[in-house]
Amino acid sequence: MIFSLELKKLKRTGYMPAFLGGAVLAAAVPLLHMLVRSETFIVLPGEPLNILYDANWQMMTMLNILTIILCACIIYHTEYSDNGAQKMAVLPVCDNHIFGGKFMITVLALSGMLLFEIIILELCALHWFSDYQVQLTDLTKNFCFSLIASLPTIILMLLIASACQNMWVSLGIGVILVFTVSVFPKENLFLSLCPFNSPYQTLALVTEKGKEYIFLVTCIAETILLGIAAHKLEHVRRYFS
Amino acid sequence: MNMIETNNLTKIYGNFTAVNGINLHIQKNRIYGFLGPNGAGKSTTMKLFLGLTQPTSGNFTIDNKTYPKERIQILKMIGCFIETPAFYGNLSGEENLEIIQKILGLPKQSVTDALELVGLTQFKKRLAKKYSLGMKQRLGLAGALLGHPPILILDEPTNGLDPVGIHEIRSLIRSLPKQFNCTVLVSSHLLSEVELMADDIGILNHGRLLFEGTMEQLKENAKANGLPTDNLEDTFLAMIDADNRKRGQVR
Repeated sequence: MIFSLELKKLKRTGYMPAFLGGAVLAAAVPLLHMLVRSETFIVLPGEPLNILYDANWQMMTMLNILTIILCACIIYHTEYSDNGAQKMAVLPVCDNHIFGGKFMITVLALSGMLLFEIIILELCALHWFSDYQVQLTDLTKNFCFSLIASLPTIILMLLIASACQNMWVSLGIGVILVFTVSVFPKENLFLSLCPFNSPYQTLALVTEKGKEYIFLVTCIAETILLGIAAHKLEHVRRYFS
Repeated sequence: MNMIETNNLTKIYGNFTAVNGINLHIQKNRIYGFLGPNGAGKSTTMKLFLGLTQPTSGNFTIDNKTYPKERIQILKMIGCFIETPAFYGNLSGEENLEIIQKILGLPKQSVTDALELVGLTQFKKRLAKKYSLGMKQRLGLAGALLGHPPILILDEPTNGLDPVGIHEIRSLIRSLPKQFNCTVLVSSHLLSEVELMADDIGILNHGRLLFEGTMEQLKENAKANGLPTDNLEDTFLAMIDADNRKRGQVR
């Protein structure tokens, strides 16, 4: 029930168009890249999909993260702008369920976005690399990996947005984090596990280092820990309000 | 029987004591008027009852249920309207009430009834952010009245309403205990209004409860203390002034 209510609250907020816009923009990156510079890539050795990932994933991920930031800000601005959050606080509903509902909606929206982007990457590989054949297993693996790698970023951004009643503050924090983390070296496993940095990793890159299981388990653990932090934040907020 | 009871309820923010060890006794199926100047602690007390803030010390029971252990059960019994109307501006009046209706597990008809009760039926499809102040106030009241909860907590419910609206809402609140077996805790700055609405009153000043009882008891108490008893406004002002003098804080 809480999921459908949270979905209803997002009516006329621009949340879904923001995700759609983000998905189209991110998917346009490999398309434009291949349209303009396809001859540079088709002569490169290696798997076509890996070549496309290496060339485009950084830019696509940055757009994905910016979309997550924007949508987390929208989702909580809806709560705070007309005191809706206060009304929810006096109804017999658990605060954690509300946060959980928002997390689930964002995860689902990002799933759609990632799936669309990965399909576009596959289509690019099919169109420009003559001997390429789509492998559903690889597609699914890449999709699941990217989604799990994005979970800590989603939950941390929702936590920031829920803590700041002013949307511009959470938007500012999100953008600062994106650009701060973008200077971290991508080869360092420890730094690559940080929220806002983990989505930049690709399955091929992590598998090459043989660290895929550590990476995935750490991302899930981070998500759980940040979920507990969100739960505690509600208690602290109630105590100090 | 007391529906709401507090025991030395205290709330301190930093070095400011908003609510100072108050002992309230709000009887079932009666209207309790909460009076006090700005900053007296009326809204803070109401927020404590709703779990919006935690007491620094003391405790309270609502229908023999304790906070924070039975917070969700307490909230199931309360319809409330605190300070400013709280709603989702991007949703219509009807959609806002539908959210509350679904959470409370009420039938769909309850939304139509609540809109009818506060006179918002013809504006139900309009976005809440486009409502006038009076309409927002009515929407907040509709949200509180949805499903006729056994306890209503209303913080200055007539703010922003025109005289006709004030009269309508006052009549509505007045009728609630008999119609729906409802206990109402209502605060207002309009002292004359509380006089017309409430069965019992509580007067707060600087977080302390100066008086609790019926209107007749207030008059007797004022008479005994040499305070004017012609109308509630004079009695109230004299009581606050006397308390401020006692505390050495003449305004």
